[in-house]
Amino acid sequence: MMTEEVFEPKIIGFLCNWCSYAGADKAGGMQASYPPNVKVIRVMCSGRVDPQFVLSAFEKGADGVIILACHPGDCHYKEGNCRALQRHGMLNLMLEQLGIEKERCRLDYVSAGEGEKFSRVIGETVETVRRLGPLLLASE
Amino acid sequence: MKIGIYFCNCGSNIAEKISSSTVAEAAGSFPEQPYVKNVDFICSEEGKLQFEGSLKSEQPDRVVVAACSPRDHEATFRRCLTNAGMNPYLMQIVNIREQIAWVTEDPAVATEKAIAAIRGAVCRVRLQQPLEKKQLEVCPDALVIGAGPAGMKAALSLAEAGRSVVLVERTPFIGGLPVRFEDLFPALECAPCMLEPLMGELLHGEHPGKIELITMAELMEVTGFYGNFIAKIRCRPRHVSLHECIGCGECIEACPATTMNEFNSNASERKAIDFAFTGVLPNAPFLMENVCVRSHGVECRACKDACPMGEDVVNLEEAEMVVERTIGSIIIATGAGLYDASRVAGLGMGTLPDVYDAMQFERMLSSTGPTGGEILTAAGNSPSSVAIIHCVGSLDEDHKPYCSGICCQYAFKFNHLISSKLPDVSITHYYRELVMPGKEAHTLLRHAAANEKSTLKRYAAISDLAVTCADGGTLQVCAQGENSAADMVILCPAVVPAEGGDALSALLDVSCDQFGFFRELHGRTDAAQSVIKGIYLAGACQEPMDIRSAMLEGMGAVGHTLAGLQPGRTIEIEPITAEVDENHCAGCRLCLSVCPYHAITFNTEQNSSHVNAILCHGCGTCVAACPAGAITGHHFTNEQIMAEIEGVLQ
Repeated sequence: MMTEEVFEPKIIGFLCNWCSYAGADKAGGMQASYPPNVKVIRVMCSGRVDPQFVLSAFEKGADGVIILACHPGDCHYKEGNCRALQRHGMLNLMLEQLGIEKERCRLDYVSAGEGEKFSRVIGETVETVRRLGPLLLASE
Repeated sequence: MKIGIYFCNCGSNIAEKISSSTVAEAAGSFPEQPYVKNVDFICSEEGKLQFEGSLKSEQPDRVVVAACSPRDHEATFRRCLTNAGMNPYLMQIVNIREQIAWVTEDPAVATEKAIAAIRGAVCRVRLQQPLEKKQLEVCPDALVIGAGPAGMKAALSLAEAGRSVVLVERTPFIGGLPVRFEDLFPALECAPCMLEPLMGELLHGEHPGKIELITMAELMEVTGFYGNFIAKIRCRPRHVSLHECIGCGECIEACPATTMNEFNSNASERKAIDFAFTGVLPNAPFLMENVCVRSHGVECRACKDACPMGEDVVNLEEAEMVVERTIGSIIIATGAGLYDASRVAGLGMGTLPDVYDAMQFERMLSSTGPTGGEILTAAGNSPSSVAIIHCVGSLDEDHKPYCSGICCQYAFKFNHLISSKLPDVSITHYYRELVMPGKEAHTLLRHAAANEKSTLKRYAAISDLAVTCADGGTLQVCAQGENSAADMVILCPAVVPAEGGDALSALLDVSCDQFGFFRELHGRTDAAQSVIKGIYLAGACQEPMDIRSAMLEGMGAVGHTLAGLQPGRTIEIEPITAEVDENHCAGCRLCLSVCPYHAITFNTEQNSSHVNAILCHGCGTCVAACPAGAITGHHFTNEQIMAEIEGVLQ
């Protein structure tokens, strides 16, 4: 009997240096495994995440994108995470128009202390994108 | 382009999960043909020497370090590059320990993930550019706004360190609020005795040339930035020369005009030319133009003629003046005030006699106050019962939701002072919460509790209290339905920011919180810094606090000033900042609205935005916002990030 191969999605994770990247390091310190599917791109602030980075990630073969920011009110740069939130709302609309399920692009908040939350969010995101299956763009 | 990959085994931490030989093999197939070196502990002394030695002999154009988190050792490895004669920004770190080796179960999967991450870093590092820290000449001097405890402490300490200080004070005198008090909590120390040495030192101490005190003055305009601010200060005329007046008061005797004295809570009269109150420093009266009979067209020069020090001391023609000073940093120490207790309904503030707020009562207790320190009702009698109501407008969603933190302490100080002046008076404290923090305050509470004539009553909400007065009779305090007579009621209102904070906030671009207190850069780790570089916060302008904390905050702000700006030393400007390409800027100014640090200005002549690299913190929000793609985020450029994305996805 053939076993169906499990789909392993490729996901790009934009992590802000001060909270969520530190949260990922914290998860590392806890040495608890989580799925390896997320490739991390470190930015100084989630406010640096240009919507074209997200679109480019999808274009270059990512099946999902996750943007992790500091919690509202905790942004190292005061309000960069608010910009990220605004842009994420805009991205959702754009993705819809491109025929990309908005669930493929998640925004969440992870603090430097939330190693456990980081692992959980990564796990959930991988599951969500896995369920959606590979991203097939119209041009392909 | 020659690229070197340095793979750290981190003992077994990385090596046990990620195969360096598989990584080296994979890297061999990258188009850039990077060389791969294995180091056991690259952050150890030996590892760093090995790394530097290899950089010197291999002379790569770009370097990738696959090791622990850049949050651990980015600075360390940048120094290694510098030591090896390379520009430190030509390196990219791949975090294969915290984010791969430690969190991936299967070594084969971990190795694969590491290869992808390293490929991304190689793609990115190719595009990284050498960056240089810029050096900037700075002015080490400071402007201190507010001559209360925090501002005085800051000014004096800066002067001691040899810095020139411009100390701007809105009122005609120094010492802030506490100089108007008689005794201070927690130890009932005499306030003027405590403050006078400090004030004397400030005015005539060892560093008088270092401190330029400008009273009756306000900040008007500030331009420039950290290290090089230019402040314009508006000085209202005192009409009395601070340098020549000896404070004899002859002019006061001669003055024909009177008004109520705001510095005695309008509970006593003053002349048009007078001291704010007895004993103020600087020891010189000031003339209130709007009270002086000359303002009604009367030709009077009684004060000028009465002055024994000559013609030049009183200057009736003195006009408002604007002075300009160059400074490197600014300390805001504008202090606090009291919430207007008349806004809390039912307590009789402003409508019933013998209802006082804490400031009015402090003045009544003061030997320089309207009653010379005697506790007297409006009718001139000693009270036999006093009610002290705590938490007026504090801990109250309808007014100020925060606890003001200092009121319980001065309320029990009042208890102590009233009972020592009038031992037979019964005192009732009405409180919502009792807050007596620290190692000393409890003694005041213990004293009040031991006082047989004292009663403490807790209330649930201020609306449960009412102060009434039937037909000119005794005041009645009705608490939860129970009436008690009181000859005098003292209200302890919420501590609020001093007046004028809004204007100063707008002028300096330093934001305030929802309560109007100046916002800290970070509430815990950077509480003495404002959100604008080079502008520091000290004292009760940032939250309610006592004198001890205010003085310490003053020293905190001084610490930043001394550490940041040093005579003869330039400041270093981090190169990871944003830069606008003026030829591509479309002039939409979106970047100005998203910059959290007001680091971007717009040049209307060039129709282009400009980023001030000193103020820029390098977050990159403007870079992402620019619709024209005219802003480059150095070290995090669009091209670099896109290359990394493409690299990790290959």
